[in-house]
Amino acid sequence: MRVVVADDSVLLREGVVRLLEDSGFEVVGQAGDAVDLLRKVNAHKPDVAVVDIRMPPTHTDDGLRAALEIRKQHPDTGVLVLSQYVEESYALELVGDSAGGVGYLLKDRVADVDRFVDSVKRVAQGGSALDPEVVAQLVGRARREDPLDELTPREREALELMAEGRSNTAIAEHMVVTERAVEKHVTSIFGKLGLVPASEDHRRVLAVLTFLRS
Amino acid sequence: MRRALWCLAAAGFVFGVIDLALILTSEFAPDRELSTALGLLIGWGFVGAGLFAWARRPDNRVGMLMTATGFAWFLAGLSLSDIPLLFVIGAAFGSLYFATAIHMLLAAPQGRLQSRSEKRIVGLGYVLTALVVPVLFVFVDPERDMECVDCPENVLYIASSETLVRVVSVAVNFVGLLLVVFVLVSLVLRLLRASAPERRLYAPVYAAGVALMITLIAILVLQSTSVSNEADGVVSTVALVPLALMPYLFLASFVRARMFQTGAVGELIARLGEAPHPGDLRDALAQALGDPSLELVYWLPDDKRFVDAVGAPFDLPSDGSGRAVTKVEQEGECVAAIVYDAMLRDARDHVRAVGAAAALALKNERLDAELRAKVGELRSSRQRMLSIGLEERRRLERDLHDGAQQRLVSMALNLRVARDKLRDEPDAAEGLLEGASHELDAALAELRELARGIHPAVLSDRGLDTALETLASRAPVPVELAALPGERLPEAVELAAYYVVSEALTNVAKYADASHAVVDIGRDNGRLVVAVSDDGVGGADPEQGTGLRGLADRLAVIEGRLEVDSERGRGTKITARIPCG
Repeated sequence: MRVVVADDSVLLREGVVRLLEDSGFEVVGQAGDAVDLLRKVNAHKPDVAVVDIRMPPTHTDDGLRAALEIRKQHPDTGVLVLSQYVEESYALELVGDSAGGVGYLLKDRVADVDRFVDSVKRVAQGGSALDPEVVAQLVGRARREDPLDELTPREREALELMAEGRSNTAIAEHMVVTERAVEKHVTSIFGKLGLVPASEDHRRVLAVLTFLRS
Repeated sequence: MRRALWCLAAAGFVFGVIDLALILTSEFAPDRELSTALGLLIGWGFVGAGLFAWARRPDNRVGMLMTATGFAWFLAGLSLSDIPLLFVIGAAFGSLYFATAIHMLLAAPQGRLQSRSEKRIVGLGYVLTALVVPVLFVFVDPERDMECVDCPENVLYIASSETLVRVVSVAVNFVGLLLVVFVLVSLVLRLLRASAPERRLYAPVYAAGVALMITLIAILVLQSTSVSNEADGVVSTVALVPLALMPYLFLASFVRARMFQTGAVGELIARLGEAPHPGDLRDALAQALGDPSLELVYWLPDDKRFVDAVGAPFDLPSDGSGRAVTKVEQEGECVAAIVYDAMLRDARDHVRAVGAAAALALKNERLDAELRAKVGELRSSRQRMLSIGLEERRRLERDLHDGAQQRLVSMALNLRVARDKLRDEPDAAEGLLEGASHELDAALAELRELARGIHPAVLSDRGLDTALETLASRAPVPVELAALPGERLPEAVELAAYYVVSEALTNVAKYADASHAVVDIGRDNGRLVVAVSDDGVGGADPEQGTGLRGLADRLAVIEGRLEVDSERGRGTKITARIPCG
């Protein structure tokens, strides 16, 4: 899989590049700022771009803006944004109205190599990868009448994993249950929250996010 | 009211004429010419001056007491009559006017007795002169006990008891002496303690009172020692002089008060024309009102409080503090207040006139006071900001030291030990590395939170709306964002508004025990109005604790204001008004 990596910190960028190359990715371009990133993506049309939020020129959310631009211009290129902060509003903005080929992770997740690589792959293949912290924020939001109270603890866990963008297989593995049991949980969750069941994982993510942000 | 007073005036006049007729026809009255002339002068003087003051100030009892003294005086005059019944009445109630005069002197100038001891003394005076002496009179044989050979007979006479009359007379005289000494002392004290306006207006009255009391003491002493009848007579006549002067002195002080008032306003207006320097205005008003203790305080509409000329907060005095307050308004808006000696309270209209004349100058000086208040406030809020800043740095240092730094140190140790064990005990090394990895995660999470606390990146990236959405979603109680600005604002304004909501929501979570909170942000007159309300227990006190105080200080730096409305049991509403372009 072909990747473009953008981060103004050379140390971190090199680290991510090495990690991805070790895991079998082909890093086709590296960028140190948002403008450079857009140019490289235009030129290489990679499967996925791994983008740090805070980058020159303004050192605010240039990376996020560039990521949104990429999603608009190159729907086939997945975008995985790395952030110093858990900022669920950024994640929601990034997802917009499609959770396909998009990810938002805390920067320190790169240290957990296997999961990070898994997330990059998922996004490159058109899936989604939301940071558990972001999901926890969204789920844990104080609500006046919380329909989430209806869920059992296991269902809640399944909901969070689902929102992260994981497949039923991954959820089953994580919860140490059968895929069949996961399917049952998912059906129950959608029933309790009044959501229309979705077949693809990333559509499921959007449905859950839409529910959580309302 | 007016008719009743006219009737009293007529009655007083007739009473005087009757007295005159009785004295002129009397067989035994001594020193007829002098006592007749002085007697009429005193009686009519008290009644006339008393009724004048009564009519002018019906709420002040001095006029009434003066009138009563006049009538009591005429009553005493009856004792010079030849007609037995009138003689007896006059003689029995002949000392009543002492009681009313004492009452009047102690009640002046406000018309009220000031202390309990004064009330007791006056009461005692009435008991002696209206009860004890008249009752005693049934035992009095004028010839024997009054050494009055020509007097008519005592028609009330029922029994003779020379000893009783002697003893009681001495006792009455002695108590009377104590009474008079008390009044003398209080009058002297009043003279000494009088404020400037009081002294200017009432010193002559007090002085006459003092003179009267001294002569009364002389009379009483002479009577009880009975040195010589002649000396007694002379002193009695001398005592009539301050008594005769008293109503006219009262009248004079009353007229003086009016006179200086009208003159002073003209003078003040002339002085104001000379464009006074700050502070001169107070002096000009103090002079115009003749009260050196006068204070000028200015109303700050923004802060809803008064400040003095140097901008220090000022609480208006309460009733009964000896100070009176008159507010100065211009175009229906309070500009300032004049705080002055309560003795001038009767001249309230005059103070108002002086205030009105000075209103424009006051308005200018208020701006000055407002500036000083603001400078003072800024200075102290800068001090507090400085200490808050220091405190925050200390806290950051502590958090870094106790948190992330400790974790990194322990991780470094683990890594070193793991390296040493890698060859020989790979399992132990793996466990250590695992632990180090957890420490690292925790350290990163802590650093992230710390950085967010120092400055929320999303605020500068995306502005207030997004930052508040995040803040609301993290709050442990449901937060409704009723209205948000919907646009980017100057950075300082956004930051201030963010901290207001953040601090308010923190308080809601910590203390309010609320089921939900509402954030409402709007614009009013060039200001951003940030309101956070909850339905919790209320009772938040901005003076307690550093949170709200620190918030007010942060706001003060950008000219913002904080209001806390937190009645116990009614929830809390925190409103910040931040100037924004």
